[in-house]
Amino acid sequence: MKRTQDEFVSARKPAWDELDSLLGKKNVLHKLPPASISRAASLYREICSDLMRARGAGYTSEIVDVLDSLAARTCAAMYSAPPYRLGALWELVAVGFPRAVRRNARFVAIAAALFVLPGALGFVGAYRSRGFAVQIMTESMVSQMEKSYSDLGRGREDGADAMMASFYVHNNVGIAFRCFATGILFGLGSMFFLVYNGLVIGVVAGAVGAAGHGRNLFTFIIGHGAFELTAIVISGAAGIAMGYALVNSGPLGRWASLRAKAGDLFAMIMGAALMLLVAAFIEGFWSPSSVPPPVKWSVAAVLHLLVLFYLLFAGRSSAARGHR
Amino acid sequence: MQLDNTVEVETPEHVRFRFRAAGPTRRAWAYLIDLLVRLGILLGVETVLVLGTGHHLRSGRAVMSGGTLLALFLIEWVYFVAFESGWNGTTPGKRVLRLRVVKAGGYPLSFMDAVLRNLLRTADFLPVGYLLGLVAMAWDGRFARLGDRAAGTMVVIEDPVRVPPPITLDPPPTQSELEAFPHHVVLPMPEREGIELLLRRRDLSSGRRQELAEMVAPVLGARLGMKTGDPVRFLALVHHVVVGAAAAADGNAKRRAHP
Repeated sequence: MKRTQDEFVSARKPAWDELDSLLGKKNVLHKLPPASISRAASLYREICSDLMRARGAGYTSEIVDVLDSLAARTCAAMYSAPPYRLGALWELVAVGFPRAVRRNARFVAIAAALFVLPGALGFVGAYRSRGFAVQIMTESMVSQMEKSYSDLGRGREDGADAMMASFYVHNNVGIAFRCFATGILFGLGSMFFLVYNGLVIGVVAGAVGAAGHGRNLFTFIIGHGAFELTAIVISGAAGIAMGYALVNSGPLGRWASLRAKAGDLFAMIMGAALMLLVAAFIEGFWSPSSVPPPVKWSVAAVLHLLVLFYLLFAGRSSAARGHR
Repeated sequence: MQLDNTVEVETPEHVRFRFRAAGPTRRAWAYLIDLLVRLGILLGVETVLVLGTGHHLRSGRAVMSGGTLLALFLIEWVYFVAFESGWNGTTPGKRVLRLRVVKAGGYPLSFMDAVLRNLLRTADFLPVGYLLGLVAMAWDGRFARLGDRAAGTMVVIEDPVRVPPPITLDPPPTQSELEAFPHHVVLPMPEREGIELLLRRRDLSSGRRQELAEMVAPVLGARLGMKTGDPVRFLALVHHVVVGAAAAADGNAKRRAHP
């Protein structure tokens, strides 16, 4: 016989209370003894059928809400996401990131072209005419850039290295994240930021070169550039890949197509952020130091090769051993 | 329960349960509180920096601005990711407003989801003040902004729920009220449920409750051959008697089964 709401509640409430106390305030099950976990599982099934009964019998929404929330909490505790551990971060650096970059090589190539070509244009333009440079940047900024590279390589004053390192963290990681995130606009935002940043860097290089301090600038940026510029390109590539997943969704819906790509995007943007952290330290402490330029050039060559080999070959061997 | 913002999810066991998706206003309040917390963090860092470096002015300036920039980076890019992945989809602001980020299937979100949905805040913010995010929310039955769509998450409301108390007759029935009833009162289940629904609803104004009861009480009164008096009180009494009779019959049946 069908039960009234009050009979139903008084008969079933002990089970609901038991499950509620098993879940506790923190809503975790995996720390309980095995017997309690299997008890929670069977209570969960009971509560699910209670929920169906309550809904079918047309009991008041309060009862249905109570059961909905209890079922949702239990479901969340049973299927909780694996915690992100330090090991996963290492896995990302050693395997996930370089593989994601290689899988998305064509987007990296597009991003690199969108970054380098405007850069070259800006460089040539600004090198040949100062009028071109002040079209892109303000007069005062160009002058300041020319001045700041006129005497470099003598080290900074006390404590300024650490300050600049944190400036680069804040500034560059911010640029990379923005460059990635605006890719949700069908890739257009990422393309804009790549072109814009490439152009500005090219103009600065051109203007400084025209003022006769090209060697200083080159010596300064060549070390951290291996990490910094590569990371900006990769974050832009991730943004373009995100936009492309929305445009060419294949058999999936647009957002499902994007979510299928989420793992790659995550690996690329996290990897780029880590590369930028490395770059910030190099740019803060090494690039402005008073080490003679030839030493800096050789170190820079090693760093470039390191980045290149890392992106090309890291994570390949474990593929051969059959890890996924 | 409002029907317009409920989201039904189905688990692998084919269980379906519902969430209430949080709308823009409630989320904006949570964001505002988080903004204040972030400003508080910045203020705290500044205080420590000023107190810690006050005596060494020359290098102190560099440490000050360096520390400030690092703090800015943390509250701008790390704050939401750290809280949402460490506190299972909540931040201080979301806790105050009782909001939680969950996967669209009702599961807890992973670190990757937290990173994606919060990096894409930059895009949702465009062109100013989360306008794009607002448009995306209006487009979607779960109020998902762009970041939520990319990460496959939604923000749900977790208001505390309590099992409602059983129906009681207040004040308790007097002897004369009970004696007025015939010896044997039987009510078909649908009618009993209808009365219960009326007695249970606490959001009805007393005038409306009276109005509804006036439609039903005379019918029942005529069937039982009784004067109804106050219609709400009459219906409550009928319910009391019927439940009491059913419980007694149940008890008798049990006694007979186990002598």
